[in-house]
Amino acid sequence: MITESRTLTRAEADAFGRELDALRAEVRADLGQRDVDHIRAVIRTAHRAEAAGRLLLHLGAGPVSFVLGSGALGVAKILDNMEIGHNLMHGQYDWTRDPALDAGYEWDNACDGGDWRHSHNFEHHTFTNILGQDRDIGYAFLRVSAEQPWEPRHLTQPITAALLALNFQWGVATHDLRVDELGRTQTWAELRERARPFLRKAGWQLAKDYVVFPALALGNAPRVIAGNLLANLTRNLWTFAVIFCGHFPEGVRVFHPEEVVDESRGQWYLRQLAGSANIEGGPLLHVMTGHLSHQIEHHLFPDLPASRYPELAPRVREICARYGQRYNTGGFARQLGSVAGKLLRYALPGGKRQPRVAPAPAPAAPVEVTPALARAA
Amino acid sequence: MQPNLLRIVSRRLFLDRQAAFWLDELDPTGAVHDRGARVEEVIVETPDTRTFVLQPPRRWSGHRAGQHLTVEVEIDGVRHTRCYSISSAPHDPRLAITVKRVPGGRVSGWLHDHVRPGGRLRLGAAAGDFGLGDVAPGAPLLLLAGGSGVTPLMSILRDLAARDAVRDVVLVVHARRHDDVIFGRELEALAARHAGLRLCVRLDDAADGDGGFDEDRLARLVPDFAARTTLLCGPAGLMARVEAMWARAGATARLRREAFGAPPVVTPPPGAPVAVRLSREARTIAAAGPGTLLEQLERAGARPPSGCRIGICHTCKCRKRSGVVENLRTGAISSDPDEDIQLCISRARSDLELAL
Repeated sequence: MITESRTLTRAEADAFGRELDALRAEVRADLGQRDVDHIRAVIRTAHRAEAAGRLLLHLGAGPVSFVLGSGALGVAKILDNMEIGHNLMHGQYDWTRDPALDAGYEWDNACDGGDWRHSHNFEHHTFTNILGQDRDIGYAFLRVSAEQPWEPRHLTQPITAALLALNFQWGVATHDLRVDELGRTQTWAELRERARPFLRKAGWQLAKDYVVFPALALGNAPRVIAGNLLANLTRNLWTFAVIFCGHFPEGVRVFHPEEVVDESRGQWYLRQLAGSANIEGGPLLHVMTGHLSHQIEHHLFPDLPASRYPELAPRVREICARYGQRYNTGGFARQLGSVAGKLLRYALPGGKRQPRVAPAPAPAAPVEVTPALARAA
Repeated sequence: MQPNLLRIVSRRLFLDRQAAFWLDELDPTGAVHDRGARVEEVIVETPDTRTFVLQPPRRWSGHRAGQHLTVEVEIDGVRHTRCYSISSAPHDPRLAITVKRVPGGRVSGWLHDHVRPGGRLRLGAAAGDFGLGDVAPGAPLLLLAGGSGVTPLMSILRDLAARDAVRDVVLVVHARRHDDVIFGRELEALAARHAGLRLCVRLDDAADGDGGFDEDRLARLVPDFAARTTLLCGPAGLMARVEAMWARAGATARLRREAFGAPPVVTPPPGAPVAVRLSREARTIAAAGPGTLLEQLERAGARPPSGCRIGICHTCKCRKRSGVVENLRTGAISSDPDEDIQLCISRARSDLELAL
């Protein structure tokens, strides 16, 4: 197994990129009935789980139906947020032209879909793991890499990370508000404007789970409130665990802005690979993570239907091996343990810095056809 | 509660999509909700043309003779929309579209091969200005058809016949050979029943060599053509020649036309200026010069939303109403109507209309 990726020349990186482009083109050409059958089956399961959960909570009595109902509702929310919401919102199914599978999907989550598409699809997937540009590195308040300068507030990060895990949807929902930039690059007036979609979405979500559905349950209202809270909590913990395993386990690289100056498409692919990590497991784990267990394939091909990642993975791995690139993968426990270890270690100053990679020289003449990566100046 | 407010609440609480899902799940026959038009009958008109007789969908608001509608089908997971002329008369409780199989055509071929009685088709509302409109009743008419161009004219003729308003109508139908004449027997029956209808079938393979379309032949056949309100529908070549002939006769004002089928694909070299119609802004701009469609639009002063500019974030996704684009990542060239494209990895290969 390769533990340290070889530094590729720009020509090598571009050859690597061409192989991945060919892989992508092959899957694109093969998309069809089985992909829509898959996502519709997941949507059907999510709807059924939600109905079952709500019926058990609303009409049931006693602890068994409470646990089953909350669990079913939690599963429905996980499927809705991960395999359905996250993937539809990436435009993975836009090729179907089915309005129900459009990237404009709104998920059952406090985060506004428009905010998400901006902070995640655009910022995170374009500037993945670039310090100062990708706000998903530690979500701008956790220190997950020695490259991030230590500050005293990081001492409490084991606790703040645990609080984030419990309230993860609120962390995601407020992520694009950039509260940390207040007084520096953002004024209060700008924040008020920026917060509008969040406040609207959050209000409706709170009303749905804690006012409307409990009211419909009449005498069972307290039970429904508790069940919805438990379902949201379940989803929060699960999505936190999955997402933290995507970019923060040991061996994942971050990049300094000067390392990615004038980056080519092939080098963009390399950065996506070096900045991501997979979780090994079976089909059930993959669906429940929205196939983010294949974070590497997702970052290489964010707009291919995620259910294709498992069959792409061995081929991606083979290409990586040929180019001497590390393919970061491991079991859930190992990756999660690694993340927890880093959250503890980097609460303290220092840590092992990663070797710097000098920017590769640009080719003499830019290639016209391939859209170059336009980066914020 | 106002219906509008109700709609917002149901959307915000996701009750709308849950209701749609459970209706689909629990009502597979469409007893209480709209699942599209039911196919009642499939009529083989010619070796390559079929009529699909439909029970109109629940909320069908009718059509005028000569109009067309859109049919949406899902083929191998992808939805496709195409326009087809309605061949039934407006009063007919059953709706009919007549579809010629286009060689290599995805949707027409699929309709022919897969649609059987009992199936369902999703229809859009009737649209189009083609038809008699405000023409005075009894005014002399010339209906001029080439191939499957007879379909909207059939709706008009059936409408006139049903209202017993066939006064002075000449119908000239062009076809390659006898077997290709769509509605042949019904047209003959109509001509026999209505003294006001003169039917001229022109076959390309006529034994006397006096068949296919020719300006002189048409003028001999219908000497007063310029005085008649003319409704024309047929292939692009035929239509262009007829339009020129009517222009020479100073009769353009009396010529009404319905184009069908895909216009010939024009692919100017990359960077050649094309006209891009922005339908929401109701203006047309010229896109030219190097780079992607997004860059061209920005240079021309448009400000479509955009993000990564490398084709991954889909922020610049936009509905292309019509035209031909090239996908720069895959090299694929696509002329499908009503298709979503990513502006940052697309290049125009014809004039376009975008929903911007």
